[in-house]
Parts: sequence; structure tokens; C-alpha cells
Amino acid sequence: MHEMALMGDILDIIMKDAESKGIKQFSRIDLIVGELSNAMPDALTMAFEIYKEQNAQLFTKDASLHIQFEEAISECIFCKTVYKPDFKISICPSCHMPSGKLISGETFQVLSYEGE
Amino acid sequence: MEVKLNTNVLTNNNVAADYNRDLFHKTKTLVINVMSSPGAGKTTLLEETIKKLSKQYRIGVIEGDLATEKDADRIRQLGAKAVQINTHGGCHLDARMVVATLPEFDFEEIDILFIENVGNLVCPSGYDLGQNHKVAVLSVPEGNDKIPKYPQMFMRTELVLLNKVDLLPYLDFDVETAKEDLKGINPESTLLPLSAKTQEGMDSWYSWIDEAYQACLKQ
Repeated sequence: MHEMALMGDILDIIMKDAESKGIKQFSRIDLIVGELSNAMPDALTMAFEIYKEQNAQLFTKDASLHIQFEEAISECIFCKTVYKPDFKISICPSCHMPSGKLISGETFQVLSYEGE
Repeated sequence: MEVKLNTNVLTNNNVAADYNRDLFHKTKTLVINVMSSPGAGKTTLLEETIKKLSKQYRIGVIEGDLATEKDADRIRQLGAKAVQINTHGGCHLDARMVVATLPEFDFEEIDILFIENVGNLVCPSGYDLGQNHKVAVLSVPEGNDKIPKYPQMFMRTELVLLNKVDLLPYLDFDVETAKEDLKGINPESTLLPLSAKTQEGMDSWYSWIDEAYQACLKQ
């Protein structure tokens, strides 16, 4: 549970970028959060609301956080089966080899932001 | 105005991790990030490792805990250089915290640096500290279910030290099941059963360190 710190990092990234563009107030932030990224979307939303409350001048009143959830998906390097991994992430359900590689689920990015 | 960024949220951490990695690489320091639940025996394992290897290697330790200097004090009693990071509630070490400790070490005088992360089987796995290797410690009393229940930790580490095997006769832990579960999550990881207390299996860990150190010198 370190979503407050992560939200601090997210604001740091957009504020640095916004400075160069003369943007002073944010109305929307879009993230992509992978299932295996160690970050929980609900906790990030809560952290966003807390930052918004504490830094009212940085956000418009209706500023919002939008999270695109990225599911964990594995692909077998041998038989190319694409599957939703259970805890045995690397075991291919078709050929049963330990040959599955995660192709999705670890992303954690700031996609975009809106502001004036 | 909409601005597209597509920037990794951990960018700030990763910049600091690259800075650490560069320094460790230049000074030929082998750096091992040791992670586990609280009480798995990380500090005891490091104490025994220092006792065994301090004639051969100059060892430094960064200790991560929420509070106190207790772990760093245990390491210092063995004559090794130890720096304590207190995260004051933070659930993991990040690369910037490690950067802040760097002036305390003379890396020309250190062969191996162990970073003992905050006891937590979740968050530390997500943070690159600039280490050469990530190692997880799991202990027999924690039970067989920890590998499947915390896949992020075991998919991001390359070695699992199964500690406290001296307790196997008294508990229901099954080593073969643990090996199989680990293979299912990360076929490239290895499980080494050992006991820091009785020294059983510790030679395999010391050999692993020797090999890692030789590989680090050849980088």
C-alpha cells in the first residue's frame, strides 16, 4: 500500500511537464495500471482525491482521475497459446511447458493529462 | 489542453536506480537486494554470511526498516559497515533512498553490498534499486502458500533462499511443492533450502555469491 507515494510521483511527472508548457491547473489525469504492477486502482483514486483536497489550487473543481486497467496476459513461446495466467504464470495451459511469458499486466504509466 | 505523456510512473525511481547501477558497475561492487516477509531471517542470514565471508570479501550493508537502528547495530557488531534507512512508515526501499546513503560508503573499499529491504512480500518487488541481483528469503514457518499467494515477488527474483529448514520436522512445509510452485511462476529462479541457524545448506548460498562476484568482476 504505497499509493499515496505513487500519486506523488505521478503529480511530480505531470507538474514537471506542465511547467514547460505554462499549464497551471489540471482537470484530468489518465493512467494505465497493470494487474501485476503492485498498484491498486481504488487506492490510487483515493490518493488522488486526498491530493486534490490538499492542493486545491492545482486542480479544477471537477478534476478527475481515469484509470485504464491492464489485465495480466501470458503467451507460450512454443505453442503461442495466449492465456490468462493463474498463479502459475509461466505454465502454458495447452502444452504444460514452463514457457509462458507475460505479455501484459506490468505496465504502470501516466498516459496523458489535461490542464490550462 | 491535452498532453500525451506515456511515461512510466516509476521514472523517478528508475533514474535513481540507473545512477546507482552505474556507480556499482564502475566500482565493481556486487549488490544484492534481499527481500522477504518480516521475520523470515534476513538479518540472521546476513550475519552468518558476513561471519563466513568477511575474510574473503569487504562487505557493506544497507538496512531498511520503518524504525530503529536495531538491524544496522547487529551488522556493525560484526565489524561490517552498515547504514540504516528508516522509511518512517514506507513499505519498501526505493532507489532514491539508496542514493541518499551512497556518500556514507567508500565503494573502492567494498566488494559486496547487501541491501536488506523492508520486511514485506509485496511492495519491495516493484522497485529497482540498481542492484545486480534480487534475492527472496522465504522461511519454513510461513508455509507453502506464500509462493503462489505473492507471485510478483517470486517472478521478479532469481533466487529463493528457503530459510529455517531445521524446523521442517516440526512443520507441514513441503520443499518439493515449493520448488514446483516456484517453477510455475518463474522457471529461471532457483530455490536453495538452508538454515542460517544450523548452517545446513549455507555453502550453496556462499557458492552462489562467489559465482555472482566473479561475474560482476567480468562485467
